[in-house]
Amino acid sequence: MQKREFAFLLFKERTMLRHKGFKTIEDFRNFLSGVTPSDVYYSSAYYEKPEEEMDAKGWMGADLIFDIDADHIPTPCDKQHDTWTCKNCGMSGRGAKLEKCPKCAGQKFGDVSWPCEVCLETAKEETMKLIDVLDKDFGLSPKEMNLAFSGHRGYHVHIENEAIKTLDSIARKEIVDYMLGIGLETGLQGFDRGVGPRLEDSGWKGRIAKGTYEFLLTATQEQLENTGLKKKTALQILRQRDKILESWKEKGPWKILKGIGPDSWEKIITKGIERQSIKIDTVVTTDVHRLIRLANTLHGETGLKKIQVSTSEIEQFDPFKSAIAFQHDSVTVDVSESPEFRLGGNTYRPYKNERVELPTAAAMLLLCKGAAKITEETISVQ
Amino acid sequence: MQKLDLKITELDNPEYSRIVDRAEKRVEEAILYALVRDQARNDEIEILSFPVAVMMVAAANDPFLKRRYALAEAKRAYSILRQESRQKLAEVAQVFNWKIKPVKTDAVIPQTVPADFTLNFVDYLKNTSNFHESKWKLVNRTILHGEVNVTKDEAARLLAEEVRAHMENKLDLKIGFTLPQTVTERAERLKLLFLSRKGQARQEEMPKETTVDAFPPCIRQLYSAAQTGRHISHIGRFALTSFLINSGMTVENVIECFRTASDFSERMTRYQVEHIAGGRGSRTKYIPPRCDTLRTHGVCPGMDEICHRVRHPLAYYRGKLRLIKTQTPAAAART
Repeated sequence: MQKREFAFLLFKERTMLRHKGFKTIEDFRNFLSGVTPSDVYYSSAYYEKPEEEMDAKGWMGADLIFDIDADHIPTPCDKQHDTWTCKNCGMSGRGAKLEKCPKCAGQKFGDVSWPCEVCLETAKEETMKLIDVLDKDFGLSPKEMNLAFSGHRGYHVHIENEAIKTLDSIARKEIVDYMLGIGLETGLQGFDRGVGPRLEDSGWKGRIAKGTYEFLLTATQEQLENTGLKKKTALQILRQRDKILESWKEKGPWKILKGIGPDSWEKIITKGIERQSIKIDTVVTTDVHRLIRLANTLHGETGLKKIQVSTSEIEQFDPFKSAIAFQHDSVTVDVSESPEFRLGGNTYRPYKNERVELPTAAAMLLLCKGAAKITEETISVQ
Repeated sequence: MQKLDLKITELDNPEYSRIVDRAEKRVEEAILYALVRDQARNDEIEILSFPVAVMMVAAANDPFLKRRYALAEAKRAYSILRQESRQKLAEVAQVFNWKIKPVKTDAVIPQTVPADFTLNFVDYLKNTSNFHESKWKLVNRTILHGEVNVTKDEAARLLAEEVRAHMENKLDLKIGFTLPQTVTERAERLKLLFLSRKGQARQEEMPKETTVDAFPPCIRQLYSAAQTGRHISHIGRFALTSFLINSGMTVENVIECFRTASDFSERMTRYQVEHIAGGRGSRTKYIPPRCDTLRTHGVCPGMDEICHRVRHPLAYYRGKLRLIKTQTPAAAART
């Protein structure tokens, strides 16, 4: 704790108070209750003097951090729960962030993103893939992996390990490339004249085999052609799909199809690699000075807690239940507009320009998202 | 040194002249040929000349000479290490606290790439960051439970890299004593020799004018995004700005490029551009990230023919400029 930098986002000023250091938990608690910030962060890095300016801090090392955020992953919900409003012409719509306003070509938007079940489920799947690789390939024990729901749209994995701490940004980039499969060359992964990896192989070899198998299991003609294959080749693959899938029991399909050479396989394999790559945020992991939200503090955009999850419980973990901070009472709010959402056991219907009494956590989420205001009566009661 | 009873203050004693001669030769060879040749006629001289050579280079105190000498000694270490037995290599690795294990030769696990050792991935990553061949990329290695498979020759190469880094650190230490006059003179002579060689190999200067046609695909894409006001990621902005500055564009003109951005703020842009140009704060002039970093962060839009031959956007730019220069007169002749 003494070696970390702490930072706080202030409610009123909306500015970041940085370069704070604390000697004891007591000091830290006193500071928190005095300042009551909206968000609390600490550095992944360890410093000799955390309170100094960046150049004078004396970097000693940093935990290895992974951030999996639904923003970086294409999801089946297509982000239809998110809204954007053009700051130039006022036009608004639903879906992922745009580059240009379709009406006035303006590029400045106000956008509101929602924590969504589909998004978080996708992020969770990626997180489980990550944990699996950290365990099997990198040999890290669950004890060294600190896993947490971020309080908004994803998961964080912190690795605290003495040896890894000292890795520089270039070395961490190699770990990022490993997770994403960037720079992977099939020639160096066991492909050689009709021989290729098998499903039971470890590391990327096995993952290439699995990804390719999964892709071929369900691929349509269109999907095959989208990889750059000729129509003839795509049809040939579809005709022989059973034979291909069957071949995985032995040496794999790499040599069994006449007329499908290494170039065609390369295109199919690229899809397999894409399926198996782990969609982590590349900037977070390579940044050795990163500030990260402190566990058990509230996320200013949701009112939910960043909460730790054990690697063995992640599969059953329900962020919309476990991360609720405000368990009691209710608040009456004026809602301008909100999509359907769930918190705990309750699902809330979409609201539009209406006054509703909601459990505190639900009201808090709407307030944090700027979708509701506290009614004047509530304020006067308080 | 202590065991062989060599005192630094006595280095100008004629008794030690063969050691000092050999030390000077080591550095001279590093300067002239970028390697140190084997000359082990007398083991004692060979061994003692090494720390003396290190002292000379440290005394000459030129960062580029330090790098060159460390690299030359590392190359020599590699040529020696690769001849050693697996047992010996493992022992040397342990000196550097590597977590390394020999692979049992009777292993029944089928290996597509034969391996002699498994090396912990942290030790592996620390010693491969200067290597650019794709076979060294972690994603192309066999790694299981944190251990990377390496062959004996690869282990020797990685150890040589450890030697290089170790030497660079040693050479950077301040010397806490005065070297005898004659040794200092030799160090000065070596420095002059190095500077005269370096002068010859000076890189061609960047032309003053920026040539958009010579931009690599990544910068071309970022440049057009900036001009049409499209959103650019943080790392994209940094790559573009540092590239433009290094291509000779003025701070004013770089700021102009960003003017169409939706969230343009002259004050903020000026601050950032000036910082990257080295006019503020730490006063370092930044260069763009290298190609593989841009690839990691999704800035690389895909490679063209020249990309395959370079590792850095600025190297692409220099190469393409040369190409344009040689092609232009021919094109002009046709018209």
